[in-house]
Amino acid sequence: MSPGLVDRDGETHVRVIQGLVLSKRRFAGLLLGVVFLFAVPDLVRVAQALDISFFQLGVIHRGLVFGFAAVGLNLLLRHTELVSFGHAAFFGTGAYTAAVTAVYLDVTSLLILLLLATAIGTVMAGIIGALSLRHTGLYFALLTLAFGQLLYAIALGQSALGGSDGMPVRPGEANEPLLLGQSLGDAYGIILYYITAIIVLVGLLVMWRIVNSPFRYALDAIGQDRTRAEFIGLPVRRYVWVAFVISGVYGGVAGGLFAVFRQYVTPAGTLYFLQSGDILYMAILGGFKTLLGPLVGGVLLVVLEFVGRSVTPYFEFLTGAVLVILVFGFPEGIVGSIGEDGVFRRALARGKRGAADLRENPSVAGDWARRIGGGLRRQIDESLTTLRVIVFGVS
Amino acid sequence: MVRKGTQHDAGGIDRRGLLKAVGGTAVAAALAGCSSLIGGDGEGDGDGAGAAAGTVTSDPIEAGMLTFTRGAAGVLGIQAQRGAELAVQRINDAGGIAGKREVNLDVVDEGDSPLDSYNQFIEEGKDVTFGPISSGTHAQIAPEVESNEVVNVGTDGTVTTLYEETVPDPTYSFRFQNYDVMECVTMAREAVSRLGADNIETVAGVNPGYTFGEDEMAVFTQAIQKLTGAEVVYEGFPELGASDMSNHITSVNDEQPDVTFTSLWGGDVTTFLRQASANDMYDNTTVVGSILYSAAGDVPADALEGAELYSGSRNFYWDHPQTGNWQPGQDLFDAAQDQDGVSIPNAHYMSGYGAVTAWATAVEKAIDVLGTYPTQEQIATVLEGHGFFTPAGYHVMAADHQGMSNAVAGQMVYDDDLGGARLEDVNIYSPTETAPPPGTPASDWLESWTG
Amino acid sequence: MASGLETFIVQTLNGLQFGFVLFLVASGLTVILGILDVLNLAHGELFAFGAYVSVGVFGYITGAIAIPAGGGIVTNVVFVLAILAAIVVTGLVLVPVGVIFESVFIRPIYERDQVYQLVLTFALLLIILDVTKFIWGDVPIRTDSVYSGINQIPTSEFLGINFPTYNVFAILLGAVVVGGLFYFFERTKTGRIIRATAINREMATAIGVSTDRVFTLVFALGAFLAGIAGAVRVPPTAATLDMGTNPLVLSFVVIVIGGLGSLRGAFVGAVAVGVLRSWMITFYPPGEVAAPFAIMAVILLVKPEGLFGTWGETA
Repeated sequence: MSPGLVDRDGETHVRVIQGLVLSKRRFAGLLLGVVFLFAVPDLVRVAQALDISFFQLGVIHRGLVFGFAAVGLNLLLRHTELVSFGHAAFFGTGAYTAAVTAVYLDVTSLLILLLLATAIGTVMAGIIGALSLRHTGLYFALLTLAFGQLLYAIALGQSALGGSDGMPVRPGEANEPLLLGQSLGDAYGIILYYITAIIVLVGLLVMWRIVNSPFRYALDAIGQDRTRAEFIGLPVRRYVWVAFVISGVYGGVAGGLFAVFRQYVTPAGTLYFLQSGDILYMAILGGFKTLLGPLVGGVLLVVLEFVGRSVTPYFEFLTGAVLVILVFGFPEGIVGSIGEDGVFRRALARGKRGAADLRENPSVAGDWARRIGGGLRRQIDESLTTLRVIVFGVS
Repeated sequence: MVRKGTQHDAGGIDRRGLLKAVGGTAVAAALAGCSSLIGGDGEGDGDGAGAAAGTVTSDPIEAGMLTFTRGAAGVLGIQAQRGAELAVQRINDAGGIAGKREVNLDVVDEGDSPLDSYNQFIEEGKDVTFGPISSGTHAQIAPEVESNEVVNVGTDGTVTTLYEETVPDPTYSFRFQNYDVMECVTMAREAVSRLGADNIETVAGVNPGYTFGEDEMAVFTQAIQKLTGAEVVYEGFPELGASDMSNHITSVNDEQPDVTFTSLWGGDVTTFLRQASANDMYDNTTVVGSILYSAAGDVPADALEGAELYSGSRNFYWDHPQTGNWQPGQDLFDAAQDQDGVSIPNAHYMSGYGAVTAWATAVEKAIDVLGTYPTQEQIATVLEGHGFFTPAGYHVMAADHQGMSNAVAGQMVYDDDLGGARLEDVNIYSPTETAPPPGTPASDWLESWTG
Repeated sequence: MASGLETFIVQTLNGLQFGFVLFLVASGLTVILGILDVLNLAHGELFAFGAYVSVGVFGYITGAIAIPAGGGIVTNVVFVLAILAAIVVTGLVLVPVGVIFESVFIRPIYERDQVYQLVLTFALLLIILDVTKFIWGDVPIRTDSVYSGINQIPTSEFLGINFPTYNVFAILLGAVVVGGLFYFFERTKTGRIIRATAINREMATAIGVSTDRVFTLVFALGAFLAGIAGAVRVPPTAATLDMGTNPLVLSFVVIVIGGLGSLRGAFVGAVAVGVLRSWMITFYPPGEVAAPFAIMAVILLVKPEGLFGTWGETA
């Protein structure tokens, strides 16, 4: 079962590893993606020369790590259908662990900082998961929110953790973490980016494995109907807890990478509920029914905010408008909509049909106009009635 | 400085001599606010740096500045922006650095991700950076400044630990404005001078809940205890931008301390004073604030009614020396009126102005000595121990990279004609009274006081 | 000489005042959640928007009505009436805003996954935020004479404690609104129809109620309450762009404590959170932010339906 070419449905596909067989087009896309991922530091230099401000290493890295956390979140969201509004808790725990060990234990090894961040983040996920197990739906969302805010409050309130100003991650004499004992100097950012890229790829692979295992189907069953899942013998509590912990691991790793790259952590930037919200929206923006969606969504959202901020003071409106369009037009997210029966294809098909109709019978245009006009008038009528009702009372 | 009326009969000092007195170049004269005194309109005509002008390119110098441009903090941050912009405008009107290089100032909000914004400045290849305002931001950025090796002249970010702990031996990071120790010691001395050491037995503090506020309370406490032996009866730390400080005010009312110290700034000042007035806090304590005057243009008359309030204003109060007697000050005040968002220029206006002045005059001095445009390291070397003039007076950038200037304090009252607050009965404190000797950590210095 | 007891009373009253304003925000949130089944993340921004609107309204009314000077009873009464009018007007301005949001943005997504509701209401939060910024700019704005004016009226002085009259006013106003809301939902026909729709949507439709209209009405009511809350909140402080976030998050705590959908619960929860927060600031500052969420977590773990609540029962 080694990498190579196989025959499927009469066409040649590429087997990347055991179980992962892609069409040639998909494989090319995958290859392109990986190359692009690793080419970023070089592309950044090109972008600088071309004055493309948003393509900065820091911005892309930030999008990647938050997107990575969103990939973890997606395990809960897509399969067990649990909306977690407190994922920043794991991200922040990982980040702060790195900061605390750097500042108070003067740990200089990059790898140890990351390992500890992951470990403590996982432990936090285990604890919060165990407590949140019993709930679903809105209660689950609110409970995760509460825990997230609790951690935020602790980080904010303790001056030992830097309070609202946060903490630097600058251990040792070199004032930065060392890789295998070596100071990285000017190449620090770039090497850390490569480490991040590697970890992201490994993480995606692991998630892919999980999503293609029996565990995933068990989670799906739990997500659809918990009671029935219990009846057929699934250890619901344990499985949900495991899924929670796994998603927390991704968050913790992401937080550690974030802390170590930027060398500074703040409560508002890592633990606040708006960050949890961001992680959730990244998953949806990219398409939460896909594996890569959340990661793509992460980079997209960060870039969008960055570009928006430099273009207009009303960048929040821009983000809001994008999300509205997302909800109404592209519920499958960006990646989700690219697929075979995604929104793009369907819209294109409808457009083609409409154009054909118009060419055949120009009076169709009149029909359309009348229909739109009628619809609008109905809407206005309804709103006016509603207003009248509100002012004068329900009739 | 020569008075306007006697500029041409000042005992034989000619124009060149006058120019030398303010730093030797047209730019320095313009920044000192003396161009009109010296005659001529300050255009570069080969004075000072002119000799080397031939080897300096005429590309503009790219400068970046971080400050708060929006929100409650923006009320104050915009002052620094306008001050810096005025300084840059004066440089360019005088022909630019070395009479050749104009300065382009790019101001960016430090509120959201200051680290990213700062990194972007470096990516864009800025030749110098200014700012930030917030102490927290300054602590984040200072290590980056050192590793990027591009001179940053800080406008504020005055926390004591910056050069004592965060970056103990800076090369490229400088800070223009008087820092926390200086203004807290100023206010401690001011409190003693107004109320008398024997009358200060209890003190309280309401300070913003982040590094700066905690730092200021700690320093003030140490200083006031050395001067009076007072006991601290309450410490409150509302978060920056908090909308409700009534709990702290109620606690102060309960304890009735002789002095209540506050380092609240900008929009928080108005919130605090308004609610203090509503809760009759002025009947229960005397408020002493290190930087209350930063809200001079914002605070309403009713918030100051019935208050005996003393405030510092770091190294600049626009009416000292009185603008009637001091043309550079009057010119500065007038210029500020033409700018958006500054009705009364305060200490932060001078922070921006002075940071740019420090750098510009140092660069000009370096060009004069070297004959070419200096490297970052050379600029940094010149800046150490560099003295220069602004309309606020004479300043020194000490060898430890901390700016040293006289400190101002006075009673803060509302002036209807001005439409804002002013300081009356102003006292001046020299750096020897308010700053530790170079090399001595602030708390050690305070500890060594005998009274 | 101030006594410890007096201080404690004043601190508690401070908390009570905050709690009442919080109730105004949380009540709208819980009613919208209980009846529309939508967690309106934009609710904090409706509060902020109301605050901004109120600054203009306050200015206009106190400017237009020449308040008789002198400080006597007549002056005070006129002043209070003027402020009340301003607050109500602010609330009314929020009503069409609520109607538009509900009918245009929220109605289409009722049947969709909860995730999309969260995304959409968050998007509305961002949109309202920037619309506010667009209209009023990024600088905090304040009301002028309202706060000091109303503080001239002597109230707590009669009791010998030092508590600004404005806060007394806020508490009284909050009490009136609480009473009004309960009356509305229990005694009026419209109120009962709304509750019926929440409890059993099909049955309500069967007896001829237009659920669409009910939903729009409820959302408008929530917006109205948020607007009033903003107007009450502004005079002692300022209207700032970020003022909506904290009330939103604290409202989550409140509705969890009280029960999702319960009005009575929202009241108890809001007062509890307000007073607790006040005590924390005085006695244990790090607890100010942490305590409400600790309680929220405990309630969700131990009694998730809250102190009073079940879905749909709004009173």
